Amino acid sequence: MDERKTTLRVENVFKYYGEFTAVKNLSFEVKAGRVFGFLGPNGAGKTTTIRMIVGINYPDEGRIELFGNRISGEMQNRIGYLPEERGLYKKMKIVDQLRYFAALKNVSSKTADERIDFWLERMNLSEWKKKKTTDLSKGMQQKIQFISTVLHNPDLLILDEPFSGLDPLNVEFMMDVIAEFKSLEDKTLIAKITEHADEKEIQLVENADAQILLKRLIESGASISKFEQIEPSLNDIFIEKIKGNQ
Amino acid sequence: MRKFLAVVKHEYKKIVLKWSFLLATLLFPVLAAAFAIVPALIFSIKGEATRIVIVDQTGKVAPRVQANLANDKLAARADKAARDSLKDLSASQEERMKRNAEQFGGNFKFVEYSADEKSFEQIKRELNQKLTADELDAYLIVPSDFEAAAAKFEFFSRKAGDFVINSALEEAVNEAVRSQRLADANISEAQLKDLSQKVELNVRKINETGAEKDGDSSFVVGIIVAIMIYITLLIYGQQIMSAVVEEKETRIAEILFSSAKPFELMMGKLVGVGLAGLTQIAIWIISALVLIGIGLAQMSAAGMDISIPDITPLMVVCFFIFFLLGFFIYATIYALIGSMVTTVQEGGQFAFPPILLLVIAFYFSFAVIRDPNSRLSFWTSIAPFFAPIVMPVRIMAEMPPFWHIALAILLNVLAIAGLVWLAARVYRVGMLMYGKRATIPEVWKWIRQS
Repeated sequence: MDERKTTLRVENVFKYYGEFTAVKNLSFEVKAGRVFGFLGPNGAGKTTTIRMIVGINYPDEGRIELFGNRISGEMQNRIGYLPEERGLYKKMKIVDQLRYFAALKNVSSKTADERIDFWLERMNLSEWKKKKTTDLSKGMQQKIQFISTVLHNPDLLILDEPFSGLDPLNVEFMMDVIAEFKSLEDKTLIAKITEHADEKEIQLVENADAQILLKRLIESGASISKFEQIEPSLNDIFIEKIKGNQ
Repeated sequence: MRKFLAVVKHEYKKIVLKWSFLLATLLFPVLAAAFAIVPALIFSIKGEATRIVIVDQTGKVAPRVQANLANDKLAARADKAARDSLKDLSASQEERMKRNAEQFGGNFKFVEYSADEKSFEQIKRELNQKLTADELDAYLIVPSDFEAAAAKFEFFSRKAGDFVINSALEEAVNEAVRSQRLADANISEAQLKDLSQKVELNVRKINETGAEKDGDSSFVVGIIVAIMIYITLLIYGQQIMSAVVEEKETRIAEILFSSAKPFELMMGKLVGVGLAGLTQIAIWIISALVLIGIGLAQMSAAGMDISIPDITPLMVVCFFIFFLLGFFIYATIYALIGSMVTTVQEGGQFAFPPILLLVIAFYFSFAVIRDPNSRLSFWTSIAPFFAPIVMPVRIMAEMPPFWHIALAILLNVLAIAGLVWLAARVYRVGMLMYGKRATIPEVWKWIRQS
């Protein structure tokens, strides 16, 4: 219909860890305003790829562009990243940690305070503002982690197994927030799931505009896990399934 | 830069706005004072008088011992000892010393006992009965051959562990026997007094300009400086390590690394924690200077001349410079270790290399106080890892040539640059390695690859 801007472009990316090739010649493109599902079994290179997108690692070969630019601190400020393994400072007040995470994304303290109040209110956590992480339940902590990924109003949101460990009520709640994010123009969402994904996560990815599937086979019996591509012609299989008339 | 400052602010506030910081800041001077005062207080507590019998069938020693143990004589001796150790007593100190001496002196009560014509065994039996009946605390038997070298003085006491009593008695007996021997050699009491006059060593230090100075005070100040730097480096180094491990253990590192460069994060942490340490030391030093200032003003108002070590502003500046150098050296090592391990406990096991270096530096500073101009002093006061403790101590002992200080600063800055370079590489990879501790070959690979 329309020519949307490209949020993310991954071009012939390789990443090696010593002898081991973690990502092999991966290419794909994510347009603005879309929702992407990112799936594949353990060891397929999903986390490595995401880490390269958010600027934690760098590709050994190939190129990654965000919003039409090479990855930089400025580009990092436009990404909200909720990692698979996530944590909070144990003995710090919730409001102080959120302020710190916002400051690291270059949000002014005034704006940060307004947004912290807004999100805590929305997540029904206002009374926990001055409490420490250890006083919060696991579900509450996950909501705080989610707040920390959206405080800087990112243009690209990357959620790594967003619902793992959440109780059903909070999952519904998060689904609403994500749906709202999706409805905004020019915002892009990438949700990563594994084969252990729960129903809601699968639902989220199934309803995505497109899915990126990284697949590798683990050769059994080998002393060192060795990964091979399932189809030799395509290094990393990339399926984009455009839904509807978009 | 903004992100770097955000990290600095975060780390600084995390430490300084905590009760433990306030407590440690206030407690250190209190503890230091307690270490100095409490032992003196404990020994000044007056014990009950020791009821003692001196059995002397020769009749020559006992009167002398009794005279020596008389209150005024003991008091004089204690007073003399106190004066030797503490020059320039103020009036109030002198008053206190006298009181203490009296307390020590009043500790003997002589019990009458007739030992005439009794055998050694009989005396012992009778006196032991008195001991068990709580009529007596101790007794001393002077042998008839007391002048012989092999003579054995038997002392029986229910409180044999009271070394204050024991040493007072031993000295009194020694002096008594000595004077009796001299009297036997026809030397008069007056001659005796002249002959046994003690020599006094007045320790003065001469610096390069030729000015004299008291020797003792620079030792004490040197040790205090060494302890202060040693403890703060240790505490803040560990603080860095546990902060790094926390971010790794809780996986916060992943979020942080997706927001700012690892180098910014690491340096921000080092600078923030360093500033917190600096704040604490500054509070200590300023309050110490203020207290010394008040004390001096009071004393000079009372017309007293008291010697304190001269501390110049240059010394204070050097102190802060070397504290910072030491902080960055050790904090970087701790950050490196923190990013290699998986838990704080594991970090504690691997923290021995920096602790060892600190302890060695601390011991070198003793050698430096004894001889600030030796070759050992020169090398240890410029060497990386040691200079941060040794050089300030050396400066307190005696101002070294300026180029020594400059060289020490240069070498340590180079060491910091090298360590930061190494740590940044290990930190980048190590912080995202979960589950297992990195081995040295692995770490070496990270350093080479990045």
